[in-house]
Amino acid sequence: MKNAKLKIGLIAITSLGMMWGSAFAAEKRCTAGGVKVECPTITEAEAKAASAAFLKEGDNMEKGHGGSTYGIAPFDYLTGVGKRSAVAAEGVKAGTYKTESGYGDQKASLKTELWDRVKAPKSDGVTDKSVYDQWSGNWSPTFGVTLVAGANPTQGKNYYYSYCIACHGWLLHGDGPSASELNPRPRTLTRGEYMQKKSNLELFTVIKGGGEAVSLSSSMPNWGNVLQDQDIWNIIAFIRAMQDVAPPKSVDEYLHPKSTFKPIKGDVDASNAAKSKAFQEAQEIIESDMTGRAPGSELVGGKLVEGGNRTLPTK
Amino acid sequence: MQGKYKLLLASALSVSCLMLSAANAADVIPGWQNATSDGKDTPTHDPMILYSSGGVDGKMAVIGLPSFRTYRHIDCGVDTHEISFGGSNKGNKNGTPDGKYVYLNDKGANTVCEFNLQTGYLERVIALPFPFGVHHIAMSTDGKSMFATGEYSGKMLKMDIASGKSEVIDWGPAPSAPDYLDATRDGKNVYVGNYYHSTVGVFSTSPFKLVKEIPVGKNPHGTDIIPESTLVLVSDKLSATMTIIDTQKQAVKKVLPTCAGPLHSVMDVYNKDGGSYRAGIDSPDGLTSKYAYESCFVADANVKISLSKLEVVDEIPTHYRTGHISISADNSYVMSLNKFSTGLFSPTGMIFPVNFEMWDAREKSPTYGKTLRIQPVDGEPHNAKSLMAYLVKDWTKGEAENGQLIKGRVDVLDPAHRALSRRYFIPKENTPPGVKVAADGVKEIHMKAFSYGYIPRQVRVNKGDKVRLFATNIDKASGITKNPDVTMGLTIYGPYGQRSNMDLPRGVTAVHEFTADIAGEYEIFCTHFCGPLHLEMRAAFFVDDPKKGPSNLAVGDYAEAQKLPGLLEAGQITVSERVKGL
Repeated sequence: MKNAKLKIGLIAITSLGMMWGSAFAAEKRCTAGGVKVECPTITEAEAKAASAAFLKEGDNMEKGHGGSTYGIAPFDYLTGVGKRSAVAAEGVKAGTYKTESGYGDQKASLKTELWDRVKAPKSDGVTDKSVYDQWSGNWSPTFGVTLVAGANPTQGKNYYYSYCIACHGWLLHGDGPSASELNPRPRTLTRGEYMQKKSNLELFTVIKGGGEAVSLSSSMPNWGNVLQDQDIWNIIAFIRAMQDVAPPKSVDEYLHPKSTFKPIKGDVDASNAAKSKAFQEAQEIIESDMTGRAPGSELVGGKLVEGGNRTLPTK
Repeated sequence: MQGKYKLLLASALSVSCLMLSAANAADVIPGWQNATSDGKDTPTHDPMILYSSGGVDGKMAVIGLPSFRTYRHIDCGVDTHEISFGGSNKGNKNGTPDGKYVYLNDKGANTVCEFNLQTGYLERVIALPFPFGVHHIAMSTDGKSMFATGEYSGKMLKMDIASGKSEVIDWGPAPSAPDYLDATRDGKNVYVGNYYHSTVGVFSTSPFKLVKEIPVGKNPHGTDIIPESTLVLVSDKLSATMTIIDTQKQAVKKVLPTCAGPLHSVMDVYNKDGGSYRAGIDSPDGLTSKYAYESCFVADANVKISLSKLEVVDEIPTHYRTGHISISADNSYVMSLNKFSTGLFSPTGMIFPVNFEMWDAREKSPTYGKTLRIQPVDGEPHNAKSLMAYLVKDWTKGEAENGQLIKGRVDVLDPAHRALSRRYFIPKENTPPGVKVAADGVKEIHMKAFSYGYIPRQVRVNKGDKVRLFATNIDKASGITKNPDVTMGLTIYGPYGQRSNMDLPRGVTAVHEFTADIAGEYEIFCTHFCGPLHLEMRAAFFVDDPKKGPSNLAVGDYAEAQKLPGLLEAGQITVSERVKGL
């Protein structure tokens, strides 16, 4: 059963959960619903603990402990699986590759996760593109509905896991391994009382243009040239889908997070952004400051190509 | 065996005077520990030579195969990337080398270095236009031109190798980052991955223009064409798949799940008789391949793909985090160019070495699939390609006098590597990121590097400013892959390449001081392969000339940058024309 494979991973998630519900920085630097509020972040001690935990995973890797992630750490959030364990789990025949994350049950080849995935492709990739998500979609949350029209939270998750986790953390609590190095610390993106008051336009602007675009710290870099607009919308959909999601107590909770977010009336979203004057104006200002985008130096000779993983979700 | 060998020798001599002995290494090497039957009882002779583009050390390494001994390093510049033999791009990624030149592109200096294989010296440094920001190069089929990707400007380039002149075209819209490319073997098209577009662009070579974009998986990396020129293998880095494109239809043929973090592919190559292709002996036409090997960064593996069945047939573990992948000229060995050596080797400084791992690809060998050699290497090599050693003549015994090696003045270039800046390390500092003016009037830039990006992402200074650039790696372990021995780098491409080119090991802050005397928009990039999103780890350095206004790709001292002060002197540079699209 797929869920059993996630057992060890949940222990890791729950240990991070001890940071949940802690105090936030006192200074009112952030804005929610037009009112200055304290920024939702974890404390310095919590940030340090999160860094130390990640550091330990890395050190374990060097010592050969903990099987591997693909190498080493016991559980990998991106893929949801560990690759191999140096020590066979209890009750498993010696010589099999039962991993600490539970990979390698009766259905598996007991070779590697890679091998099993490769041998059971979900599609040909030509008529059905789901093969492109087979790796990242197998072992982590997927979302059947979206809270941001025109945006796909599952696709957003993939980019969040690639780009955002270093600071904002695997569960969006603002407890990534680099959080302790940053002052001000990264936002806790799950905090409903704060996030429910942030409009999509505000989130889009800060992701695309960075902290400086909203007169805050440059510790939040601009991602406008790294991510296409649709990717940013997808990430916003993922963030919305994780509002007030506490550390999961069961595998089912982990795979199916329940968000408290209610779409804000009249807010811009991926489906109507092209028609929103406020949105377009904000983008023009941000883009004029980005590399390769300055008016007069725009690239010609191509067009935005939809497809691959840039396709808009069909609803 | 002896008779066959003589035959080979005769045909070799008839084809090229460069060849000393024609040996198909697969035939004559009994095992991986070579004992060549070349008439010399010298197991120290290597039948093949691997040329390695050293990355951040700015050098090319010359390594024997299969001994894996490093023979020498030859200086090129700042941060070298792709390596390509002169001759033709026919065959596999090793091409069909004519034994004359090998080219390396320098991502830091925006140049291409030309090395003379026979003299062993750097012979020309070809400057590419600004703004461009070269990432990779590919040889054309006729060997006369070279194609290059402008990762930092969203542009594509076609260069005439003899004159160094180039044609540059845009590939919009921004953001656009052409990264890896390969040219079809009929000389007609170039296929180029673009990690911001998540597409592969098809360009016609004449006229040089974008024909089509084909959507592929997330953030495509290696884009490699098989010797038959019928298929393009695209490594979809973040989708863990290989998208296979049919070159006839210019459309996706199949998508294979392959491995986590696939980066590059190489293929074996066979001549018409089914033997390993021998450069200079066999016809370069009608070459075929059986298997492709794809590197898997996150999965710590190489996967083997049958090109007839289009499916994965084997998985070979590697140690660790394979970036580029290379195959020996005789198809016997696959070299996994590993970016991390976590737990391996002895430390020799703040920066842990990367490594080359050679595994046995001969299916009938008792050691098939096993690692035969694993060797720490200097720099951070980006790619390596091999040729048969007989293509390099023995000039060491005065043969140059008779052999027409030198036909006129040959400038010997020794780039002023890492010039024009003061560089030092200080204990790790925790000043918030940003730009501020220090008491001595110097603009202090405090940058943090993390998996995968820089903060701040954009830095603006004025022309003439004295700059003190502080850069700190704030990772605890490398992002997704968690390797603790993560080193990052920071290089501002172009005229600031040799002044920045910083190594960022964990636990210290690197500081470089230099004058920002050339206006323009120059991308900052990471020079140590820190993780699957290493390429996307970028920022930008704007040097604004108050007289001209804010710099961008159209406004800057690009003609001045073209002269690459400190790296090259006048007369040693082939200045490319700045053409349409700039």
